Amino acid sequence: MRLLKSNNPFCCLVYAVLFFLYASFNAGYAAEFSAEVSQLESVRHGDNYAFSAGVIYHLSDNAKSALQNGVPLFWNLRFKIQQQRDLLWNITLRNDVIRYRIQYHALLNMYRVRNETNGEITSFSTLSAALESMSMVTDFPELKAVDINPQKDYICAVKVDFDRDALPLPLRPIAYVNPQWYLSSNWTLWPLKK
Amino acid sequence: MASEKITPPVNFYVLILFGLILLSLQLMSSAMQESSELSAMYSWLLLFNALGSVVLLVLVGANIFSLIQHTKRREAGSRLTTRMVSLFVVLALAPAVIVFYFSMQFLHQGIDSWFNVEIDRALEDALELSQASLDQRTRWHLKQTQQVTGKLEESSDSMVAADIENLRELSGASEMTLFSHQGRIIASSSINPGDILPSLPDEHIWLQLRQNGEYVALTPIHEEELMVRVIVTVKTAETKYLQALYPVPVRIADLADSVEFAFVRYQEMNYLRNSLKLSFSLALSLVLLMSLLAAIWVAFISIRNITAPVKELVKGTKAVALGYYDQELPVLAQDDLGFLVESFNDMTHRISQARDETRQAGVEVENQRAYLETILANLTAGVISFDAIYKIRTANQAAYRIFHVHVNQFIGQTLIELVQSYAELAEPLKSIQRLLEQADDIWQQRIAFLGPNGRQELLCRGTPLFSQDGLRVGAVVVFDDVTDLIQAQKNAAWGEVARRLAHEIKNPLTPIQLSAERLQHKLADKLELADAVILQKSTRTIVQQVEAMKEMVDDFSEYAKPSKKQAVVIDLALLIQEVLVLYALKSGVKFNADYGDGAQLIHGDPVSIRQVLHNLIKNALEAIGANGLINISLHRVQKNNTDFIEIGLYDDGPGIKDDQIERIFEPYVTTKVKGTGLGLAIVKKIIEEHGGAIWVDTARKVGAGFIIQFPACNVESL
Repeated sequence: MRLLKSNNPFCCLVYAVLFFLYASFNAGYAAEFSAEVSQLESVRHGDNYAFSAGVIYHLSDNAKSALQNGVPLFWNLRFKIQQQRDLLWNITLRNDVIRYRIQYHALLNMYRVRNETNGEITSFSTLSAALESMSMVTDFPELKAVDINPQKDYICAVKVDFDRDALPLPLRPIAYVNPQWYLSSNWTLWPLKK
Repeated sequence: MASEKITPPVNFYVLILFGLILLSLQLMSSAMQESSELSAMYSWLLLFNALGSVVLLVLVGANIFSLIQHTKRREAGSRLTTRMVSLFVVLALAPAVIVFYFSMQFLHQGIDSWFNVEIDRALEDALELSQASLDQRTRWHLKQTQQVTGKLEESSDSMVAADIENLRELSGASEMTLFSHQGRIIASSSINPGDILPSLPDEHIWLQLRQNGEYVALTPIHEEELMVRVIVTVKTAETKYLQALYPVPVRIADLADSVEFAFVRYQEMNYLRNSLKLSFSLALSLVLLMSLLAAIWVAFISIRNITAPVKELVKGTKAVALGYYDQELPVLAQDDLGFLVESFNDMTHRISQARDETRQAGVEVENQRAYLETILANLTAGVISFDAIYKIRTANQAAYRIFHVHVNQFIGQTLIELVQSYAELAEPLKSIQRLLEQADDIWQQRIAFLGPNGRQELLCRGTPLFSQDGLRVGAVVVFDDVTDLIQAQKNAAWGEVARRLAHEIKNPLTPIQLSAERLQHKLADKLELADAVILQKSTRTIVQQVEAMKEMVDDFSEYAKPSKKQAVVIDLALLIQEVLVLYALKSGVKFNADYGDGAQLIHGDPVSIRQVLHNLIKNALEAIGANGLINISLHRVQKNNTDFIEIGLYDDGPGIKDDQIERIFEPYVTTKVKGTGLGLAIVKKIIEEHGGAIWVDTARKVGAGFIIQFPACNVESL
């Protein structure tokens, strides 16, 4: 990334040309800093199904540095339940998004985690504590058992998306081409236990 | 004028596309403002502009490739287009690169100038000051709470709730809660009566509390409010914890928040410094790249439009050079080039008109020439034209008929050069050449020569040709074959002589003969023997001479009378055989006859034809003596689309002298001691009366040879 930090004006023209080649090169790059969904669970409580997921966030040095310098980071935790069909498209029963924001507060020397979906704010003195608070998600909306057809198969899916478009504007072009900013996870699927 | 409307060099759609590019760049520029609503679309705008750049790059590349191909193929206007595009690119690129370089310099220096150590230190100090202020307030609240705890230690369980209420109000806390050692709520008081559940410390706080015995920290509540959370140990029989929440005054919280915001903002900007430079550089590069590419692309289109009339002109000029004058170039614009194209169209139109008129005139001249050639070709007189140095320019068909030479094949040569190929024509051709060179005016000359058909007599008339300046530019010679005419005149004259001789001489011959015989009869007995002998000799001589004169008169009479008395179809082969049979029995002469294939039929009087054969064979026999050879050939020939039966009669005698060949067929011309000299004249007369011809075969070097031609009688016409 030293190239991208160069101050030579003529290099910037070269960057503009190489930008798209570099972007396409990294398009399929499986970053080592991507988040991973470690745990998925669905439990039936009476007439409802409750869902929980465990997510492990790996922050790259660039992401930690940005966070430490006051840049807020956003993740979208996507949750889907679909009825599987053989010939036609799956029917989506649930498509929820929980949006998290983490930001460092220099005044209090704390990390503040905000659940943008419900407005809940929690402050932590360490980054690991803050990430841990985001790792266990249990507040998915419940699914009524009557909406489930016992004869059909259902799958649950969870994905964590790092919102690069919420980064400060000068950081976005780099975030799209630098693997250190590939902080999203892939979709993780598991069958719904009836 | 093909078009009255002045058209711009680029079309409407290109202008729209150019506008879209500018709009996209403007949107991207606006999106780079942090506060702009377009900032969310920054990535898409960046991608769109990048794709636009790629599209423009492809368009420019395609245009360059196409231009290179055209230049390689040396197509019209390609070199002009290359030169103009190169000039435009250089003129556009040089200032753009200079402006880009300095813009980047200013941009980077400008961004760097935002940050310096003093501001950095000041903001850090301000933050530290805020932290110190809040820390002081926190420590003060800790001390205050510890003092409150002393009072609470003496409170009984039943009064603890009331005491907490009093202590909270006394201390100014917004909430005060007493927890058991296990964390169970014993009593709680809040400034807000509606708060049923107090604020509970999390596991980290409990852990820290159990380790240190007290806990104090600033805790953010809601978005912008701060609260000082103090938990201290209440030293009773059973350990209890008292939690007090003290609100930070709004003003202090605002000031602290403002300082923190400025610090964080500055820190963030400092962190994003390189990214910001890169981002601006990227945007500036994209703007420059797209502007340049769009300008070059539009330049291609504009230059193509500008050079289109030039291309058309080049194509038109090439077409005109190849002779295609019907070029009507489209007038694409009403500018100088349009005027040039119009002038070109006028020029080609006039050239086309002139070409048509010339072609028409040429056709007329050609028709006239063809007409004259037709006339000349059908003239019975031969016509040969010469240029200034007496080389043959034209010759008609009659010249061939007269000279039996394809004079047309010798165009560009002189008559002297023609002589080298046809020595037999040397005499007339040299005469004509000499006359051409000597005569300055119209001349006429009768020229005789020995042609393949015997002696020919030409009446030549020459006319020198002069230009308007009086210079000799050539000459024309017209000549007629007057052989037949002169021969006819001679024949008529001889016929008249013969007729008069027959009439004037034959009449007195009989009285002369009778008188001589009467003298002999009356005086023979009366004279002396000697005188009687003299008388007898004299009268016999008179009678003999009279007989001879009678025969001569009969010959003349024969010559004068028409021979074609009773025309029938004759097979010449049979007739010749019948005649030869008579001579073969009499003499030791050998006859070698070739009668050809089939019957050789002519239309004529068999008696006359038989006389012709007799005369010729007699002449031959007299020439060759007792042991000679006579060859007779008979075959059909074609001459001027007419079939002739040709008889060749050759002997191996002494032949005919050259000086006699010209006059051998005239009366009283003979090589024999005895003879009237009318034999060949009669032969020629009979043959000509039958439409035929006879001439001496001059090509034969041994003996004498005669060639006779009679018009053939076709079997179909019978």
